[in-house]
Amino acid sequence: MSKDFSIVGKSVIREDGFEKITGRAKFADDYKFDGMLFSVMLRVPATHAKINSVDFSAIQNNPSVASIITSQDIPGAKKIGMIKNDQPVFCDEKIVTPGDVLAMIVGEDETELRKLLTKIKVDYTSLPTLTDPKKSLDPDALLIHPEFGSNLIVHHPLRKGNVEKGFAESDEILERVYTTQTIEHAYIEPEAVIAIPLEDGALKVIGSIQNPFTVRRIVASVLNLPNEKVQVVQAQLGGSFGGKDDTMCMLSARAAVAALKLNRSVKIRYTRDESILESYKRHPYILKYKVGFSKIGKINAMKIDLLADGGAYCSMSPFVTWRSVVQATGPYEIENVQTDVRAVYTNNPYTGAMRGFGSPQPIFAQETLMDEIALHIGVTPDEIRRRNGLKLGSVTATGQTLKEHDVNLIPVLNKAVSFTNFAEKWKENKKNQTGLKEYSFDQPIFKDEQFISSEKLIKKGIGLAVSFRGCSLGAEGLDQSSCYISVQPDGKVVMLSGLAENGQGLRMTLLMAAAEELGVTADKIIFLENDTSKIEDSGPTVASRGTIMGAAAAKNAAELLRKQLEKVAREVSKLDETDFISFRENLVFSRKKGMIAKFDDVIKAAFENKVELSAIGRYKSPDVSWDEHTGQGDAYFTYVYGCQVAEVSVNTGTGEVYLNKITAVHDPGTVINRLGAIGQVYGGVTQGAGYGILEEVTNEDGMIRELNFDQYLIPTAKDIDEIKPLFLEGNEKYGAWGAKSLGEPTLELGAAAIANAVCNALGKRFYNLPLNLEEVLLGRKLRPQDLKRGSL
Amino acid sequence: MIDIMCEVLTPKNLAEALLLLSSADSTTKILAGGTDVVVGKTQGSKRFADAETLIDINRIEELKGISEKNGMISIGAAATFSEICKSKLVEEKLPLLKKASNTIGSLQIRNRATIAGNFVNNAPCADTVPALLVYDASIEIKSQTATRNVSLQEFLQGPYKTLLQQGELVTRILIPVPQQNYAGDFYKLGRRRAVAISRLTLAVVIQLKEKKIGDIRIASGAVTPIGTRFPKLEEFAIGQKMTDNLCQELAKKMGEEVLAVTGLRWSSAYKLPVVQQMFYQLLKGLER
Repeated sequence: MSKDFSIVGKSVIREDGFEKITGRAKFADDYKFDGMLFSVMLRVPATHAKINSVDFSAIQNNPSVASIITSQDIPGAKKIGMIKNDQPVFCDEKIVTPGDVLAMIVGEDETELRKLLTKIKVDYTSLPTLTDPKKSLDPDALLIHPEFGSNLIVHHPLRKGNVEKGFAESDEILERVYTTQTIEHAYIEPEAVIAIPLEDGALKVIGSIQNPFTVRRIVASVLNLPNEKVQVVQAQLGGSFGGKDDTMCMLSARAAVAALKLNRSVKIRYTRDESILESYKRHPYILKYKVGFSKIGKINAMKIDLLADGGAYCSMSPFVTWRSVVQATGPYEIENVQTDVRAVYTNNPYTGAMRGFGSPQPIFAQETLMDEIALHIGVTPDEIRRRNGLKLGSVTATGQTLKEHDVNLIPVLNKAVSFTNFAEKWKENKKNQTGLKEYSFDQPIFKDEQFISSEKLIKKGIGLAVSFRGCSLGAEGLDQSSCYISVQPDGKVVMLSGLAENGQGLRMTLLMAAAEELGVTADKIIFLENDTSKIEDSGPTVASRGTIMGAAAAKNAAELLRKQLEKVAREVSKLDETDFISFRENLVFSRKKGMIAKFDDVIKAAFENKVELSAIGRYKSPDVSWDEHTGQGDAYFTYVYGCQVAEVSVNTGTGEVYLNKITAVHDPGTVINRLGAIGQVYGGVTQGAGYGILEEVTNEDGMIRELNFDQYLIPTAKDIDEIKPLFLEGNEKYGAWGAKSLGEPTLELGAAAIANAVCNALGKRFYNLPLNLEEVLLGRKLRPQDLKRGSL
Repeated sequence: MIDIMCEVLTPKNLAEALLLLSSADSTTKILAGGTDVVVGKTQGSKRFADAETLIDINRIEELKGISEKNGMISIGAAATFSEICKSKLVEEKLPLLKKASNTIGSLQIRNRATIAGNFVNNAPCADTVPALLVYDASIEIKSQTATRNVSLQEFLQGPYKTLLQQGELVTRILIPVPQQNYAGDFYKLGRRRAVAISRLTLAVVIQLKEKKIGDIRIASGAVTPIGTRFPKLEEFAIGQKMTDNLCQELAKKMGEEVLAVTGLRWSSAYKLPVVQQMFYQLLKGLER
């Protein structure tokens, strides 16, 4: 970038940082209102059950119970969903997964209400369960939602070229099956929401909400109210990672039904156990890959079959799996591709959006497969990627020709490889491999040869993974955003964005974009709370679109306003038409006269002259295309590229994988806030590491074992030594000065890079995530036979 | 949203605490760090379900402090792991205890959790128990009417069971200062490097004279129902030359003993090889 920025690209501390670290920031559960009631959920300890009757008589006249809320109380839609309305707000006929809620009781004393829940008698009949997605499409499979006639949620086919011909022309063929696990978002703040009745039957919702506009749409449909009668305000959000979407719509709807019925404010807040029990998860996948390649490793054909477990509800499954179908080959140019991605219903906890959104699963498979191909033909992992990687003008699996942006796959790869001295380390580690000992369950006592000499206990490994990622929504949906800014008479600027701060630092990014364009310092701009009734629907804050769509809209708003102010400055300073005016750091300059005014003086003059001092900036994505029968089209209008290198130490006696260093090279276009960008990398890499070696939500016939952080383990600061972020800033014509996406690319590569590094250390390949102690040492997972926890 | 309804009493000295305990029944529990009681109560653990009154012993001076007198190190029952980690005395004389204390939970947990709480709760995975066992720790127990001393080994009866009687309080932990020529090490394996429940702990102290084992004490945790010493292994080892062969022999014998106690369980496929391998590695590190 040749432009001389005054603030863009610098490291700036986020504007909400001080409030957050001093505990002053107001999260949803911090809001309290006069006469506010609490609401608690009634569930049954079953996975799939027919509800025969619910007997509330034991609590009906209890003074602690203000109301019992069931589906009878819902004025509008009784079932909701992001895409398909298949999820009952209250399950009065049957439950299809253990998180399902039958009814709620509302009252002033939350603790007392929880006790009273146990007095409600539910008569239910347990039904057979379907928890293996591989059986969901069997002809005799039980149907989770019989009204749909099938357990198939969605099927995305993709056909390019002729795979059979491609295989026939290949020198070698590999076929592999991979599995990835269910994981939990693990946001630090569990869900909380308050519904507040307003005058005229309208309603306000304040909550830990990722996407206020989605919540408004769902709440309005459940209440049978027009959108404008529902106002949704986002509280400070304690993390989301894609996880506070459906669940928050559901909780908001429930709280809203109670609030309107009782005409009092109603709060719902979840404990961690409840949060993990009911909230959706990341899809576990079963991934089958068949690949044909030449002697020099050029891939001729790839046949891919992916099965995603959608769990009990559709949620975002069709969109999550759509990203998978676009990106399943990885960033490689392959002439013949046949991909089928299916998502199916089971009785498992439902799965939906999570940071990564259908990319971490295929990347784990395809990037470890690439390493296998490299080993087969005897080249290093970086070289096999150079031979097949996407370049300017390459055609992707969906038939899209990559053009009009920097196709920076090979540059990010080369930068990561040379920075880490990858090839040399990889060869050295490979030479030192000693493999793992075999252990027998029947003869557990060691033979002499099973002992490992101390100097061979710890093995070093290095591995890499690359990806391309379509920015924003692509052909998933409408893609536009708005930003409103207005200058007060004293020169202070306020901003309203249609996109939401989810803890990722979006506010600061948008403030910086507007400040740069308006020529003011960022501290002059105040970011107003996100409120659906004050700004246009800008779509959800998902798909790493906050910066590319949001900063572009903020910049456009600032540009409109600056042009107005230019006219004022020109008049006031009596500049001639040929002079050039610029705004920079609260000052206004003319090319001929130098500094001519302070920003505040121009505002004062503009105000006195009745000049319009507000603007709405909009940004819409360029057109994309998709043919759902062939899976061909220009899926996304632009892409970002990344490469991560993992350096690990593996304990061959215990299976422990320690992460010595992760080097993350990303092309986010232009970096707006460097501190925010580095933060995204730290967080994404850590989350990717958790996916790679630790995290897993397992269940016993649908019942989750890991309901809290004593069982569900995420990485701590001690589990990763060094994270090194490196940015390769490409040229891009879209977004604000070419600022694209970074959030999700940082987390999608880790598991694959780590798995490749472990293989480099041990000479053993892993096909099933996560690479936890047992997987590494024994090549399989071990599960306790009961659901007993810790010291209970 | 931790909501536990208990009455909390805070005696200011030991006499007051013992008086309160003397009239208490099973609905009264002792609150030290609270990292087991409060969590257990919140989770609805059966062990704490009947608790109505908690006696907070954190303000009792007599239960604090770490000191050395007449060849004995005395640690107050309510000493926190952070205090133990910071103690120069522990660092110098009881390095295994420092290492074990340092692996417990997080800094926040170590700031609250107490050493006596660790073994009075007596979870199979109590991290400091193996270290205390190889140091031949004994404990002082007081009631309003009596004081008794018991070896820790004897005190620990079974998972979550000890010899502590109604009305009694563990007051101090007493550890004979190890002789100069003892070496030793502690090992913990968890699923991650911090805030991890141990999957395996091992502690060994050893006295070598010209490669011959003069004395050895071995203990483990998390692989047996409670933290335990291995007297048969120790007996077998004493007097033998510390060779690679012996290290392997001892590791196999530990595997056999663990197998004999636990039988084959879901976790054995992992834990049995690991206990043998890492015990072998631990011994090899002490072979000098």
